[in-house]
Amino acid sequence: MAAPTYQRADLGELDGAAAEALRTLLFRLADDELVLGERYIEWQVHAPTLESDLAISNIAQDEFGHARLWYDLLEDFGDDEPALIWERDPGSFRHATLVELPTRQGDWGDTIVRGYLYDVAEQLRLEAVAESSYAPLRERVGKVQSEERYHREHAQNWLERLTDDEPGRARVQAALDRLFPYALTLFAPVDEATEAAIEEHGFRTASLADLREQFLDVVVPYLESLGLDVPEPDEVERPEAVGRDGQHTEHWDALFEDMTHTYRELGRTSTTKLMEDPE
Amino acid sequence: MSSDLRRDDAPCPYPDYTPARRELADLPNTGADAEGTERRVWEAVYEVEDPEMPVSVVDLGLIYGVEVREEVDDTDAPRTTAYVEMTLTYTGCPARDMLTSDVEAAAASVEGVDRAEVVLVYSPEWTIDLVTERGREALREFGLSVPDPEGHDA
Repeated sequence: MAAPTYQRADLGELDGAAAEALRTLLFRLADDELVLGERYIEWQVHAPTLESDLAISNIAQDEFGHARLWYDLLEDFGDDEPALIWERDPGSFRHATLVELPTRQGDWGDTIVRGYLYDVAEQLRLEAVAESSYAPLRERVGKVQSEERYHREHAQNWLERLTDDEPGRARVQAALDRLFPYALTLFAPVDEATEAAIEEHGFRTASLADLREQFLDVVVPYLESLGLDVPEPDEVERPEAVGRDGQHTEHWDALFEDMTHTYRELGRTSTTKLMEDPE
Repeated sequence: MSSDLRRDDAPCPYPDYTPARRELADLPNTGADAEGTERRVWEAVYEVEDPEMPVSVVDLGLIYGVEVREEVDDTDAPRTTAYVEMTLTYTGCPARDMLTSDVEAAAASVEGVDRAEVVLVYSPEWTIDLVTERGREALREFGLSVPDPEGHDA
């Protein structure tokens, strides 16, 4: 199979629609990781035990690291980090609304359920770009996958513990009922034409519908094995805001304000560096 | 959402340096075969240590390659650029900017090099197996035990 391969140097030759499709795919990866990381760090010094505090902080750090890998690739299109994150219009973020929802107060299970649903989707979508026609993207996938494995292990360990008795299971069930419809937004299209272009150019090798199918094949039997009832996917009411199309919940503006507060307060025009560039 | 993100001072788009395709079997690379200016860049970069441990980034196996190229700048003046391909132990590495700045500064300090650029690469992914024998020794001396590449304790 002689699929075309694109390097960084080929970006200038991609036509407008193809370049936009690739950018959209990268924004989706980057924005999801960044925003989920922001929600995770709200647990710092509040998680149930010291070990879980360190673990969730470490997972957040990984997610920020992954976000950075994808934003790096977006910089190759000519945007710098302030433009891609700090000074960006919050309405142009493409993350799924699953990752922006506030954590239900004090509910560790809520974070664990969200993490599990996200991490499974993440695994599948990384597999779908592991053979991407865009070489700089696929060359970063292996490193991310090896780190994501620990995230799933973490979420599953906790899910098994939390569902071990009835009060715990009831709380996990409540979190699942709340979050499952939002998890399906991970597979919502930005728009049909862009999705078609992403597949046509081989930037991603599976369709969103395929990914959704694979996702359900993994999460439904696993969650059921823990004694949980998984909402019937096709009967789930779709949230009003899915994120991918630029529609967000009211919680996103507040989170974006928080996230960029220091940057604005200090009147920054660039992000902090430990050292000046050597040139 | 394309043009609304552009800024006048944004970095130059479409960089044309494409890292070489490397196999795990070719790593770690310590520049043993390098000659001339590239040899000197390897030696300069060797002096950069991990911020937390007294071990060279070369012995950690983080430097995948060095390439010195004759180029022309925006005004068509000739210049010599050292490209250093480098990876990180993990993606969230908080010392990233510090390490890449140190490596860039070291490479740029070499006689015959006008500027240096670190190109971060993540394939093949770094594992502890890429630490050289010298690196293992330095880490052991520092008090860390490093499993040998076959998976047995050293």
